[in-house]
This record gives sequence, structure tokens and C-alpha cells, in this order.
Amino acid sequence: MEFLPLTEPVLLILLSLAGQPRHGYSILKDVEQMSDGRVMLSTGTLYGALRRLLDEEWIERFKEQDSSRGRQAYRLTARGRRNLQLEVGRMKHLTRLANLRIAVKGA
Amino acid sequence: MFGLILYRHALRLYPPLYRKRFGEEMVAVFRELQAESATKGMIAQSVFGVRETAGVVAGALRERWRVRGDDSVWLWFPTRRFTMRNEFRFPKTTAVLMTIILAGVVLAIQRGEAIQGSLPYANPPVGPIHPVHSALLPGVLFGLAFFYAAGLIGWAILFALRRSGVHRLDETSVQPK
Repeated sequence: MEFLPLTEPVLLILLSLAGQPRHGYSILKDVEQMSDGRVMLSTGTLYGALRRLLDEEWIERFKEQDSSRGRQAYRLTARGRRNLQLEVGRMKHLTRLANLRIAVKGA
Repeated sequence: MFGLILYRHALRLYPPLYRKRFGEEMVAVFRELQAESATKGMIAQSVFGVRETAGVVAGALRERWRVRGDDSVWLWFPTRRFTMRNEFRFPKTTAVLMTIILAGVVLAIQRGEAIQGSLPYANPPVGPIHPVHSALLPGVLFGLAFFYAAGLIGWAILFALRRSGVHRLDETSVQPK
């Protein structure tokens, strides 16, 4: 997996799309909410990441029924979901390892 | 409103294909964010402005760099003419070169006529030849203008029908099957 580990903005974007398809503004707001306002992406950063994820077929454009106001929704592809699961698994492993090491050090 | 106009201009920093693909969406999202920041006071608006400016400039540089990066095979050549790009470019170089060539031809003809005029007549001037020479310049000019215009019209028709080389290249898939 060439793009693993993921950067935090990309991870948050993928997590935002994991639940449901979203358009750009909705992704930005969700990322902001998930990170408690710590990660606030600009449109330039967001669409740079979306372009890369689209090119790698981790996400795809999704035709909404209400596609007014130039909105375009995105959703995860099976490949994107699989890679997100891999990344979350990797992070889980790291967290478990870190907890073990910290516990041993503390004992 | 002013911010939106600036943002639209800033999007020109991106490669044309990227703008075509995401430009309108980015403007739509920017509009929503701008409306939201307007309700939060001056500081929030300033932070928003700085973040968006930095994001667009950094994003545009990244995309430009990526487009360049795709041509890395050709980096040891002065590359532009070797690089296929499926994006629209007006043939500026061709137009400039054709104009320079046309100017060169006109100057050469004028200079030739001047030299001819300055030469002493060793023999009596030959009357019937002179009108033939003076008719050459307009004829050449007309011919060049005709072919130039015909080429331009042909290209415009192909462009309008979306059958120009640019469009056909644009339809070409660059992704491996």
C-alpha cells in the first residue's frame, strides 16, 4: 500500500466518507467536528486530497438526487474501505503496542 | 463578494484540467464557507481568508509540481515540446512564427525592390517586366493571408466540432487498462 500510513487530513476525509456519501462542504464540517475543531481544511487542501483519492480509486463521485448548487458528492469505494480498514488496523496495533510498553515502564 | 472574485482568480493558478474538474465545486464550497465565516466576525473572516489563500496557493503549486513530475522521464531534455499534455493550449508559438516568417518575406521583397531600384540601368529598362514585379508583393501577401485564414478557419471548425487534436487527446485514456 503505497499511500499508507495516511496523513491525518486524508484519514479524516476517508472516515468522513465511511459513514455516508458527502459533498465538499459537508466533508469539511465533518472533519472539523471529528477533530474537535483542530483540523480545519481549506478548499485547496480538501480538493487536492480528493483528487488524489479519486485517481487512486479510493473514492468515487456519487450522483446525488439533489445535485443543485454545483454540489458533487463523494463516497468510498470497496478499495478505499479496505485500505481504511488496513490503516485503522495498523493504528490499533500501534496503540496496543504503545499501551503495553507504557504499562511495562510504569510497573 | 470581493473574496469570491479573488478566489476565482486564484483558481487560475491551478492547471487547466484540474480547474475544469474541480473549479466549480471549489467555488461552491468556498461560497458556503464564506457565508458561514461572515456570521462569525472579523477575526474568523480574516483567519478564513488566510487559510483559503494559503490552501489555494499551496494546492496549485502541488498540482503544478505533480503535472511536471509526470514528465520526469524527460527531465534531462529541455522538455516542453516533448511533453504530451491533454489540455487546451492556443497555438501561440505557431502564430508568432508565422507572423515572423510573413514579416521576413515582406521585408525581403521590399529590400529586393529597393536594390533593384538603386541599380543603374546598364541596359534600357524593360517596360513589361516592371508591372510583373510590382504585382508580386500583393500576390504573395494575399496567398499567405489566404492560407493563414484558411488554416485558422479549419482549426476553428474542428475546435467547434470538438474534433481538434486537443479534444482527441483529451479523450485519450492515460490510465492503464
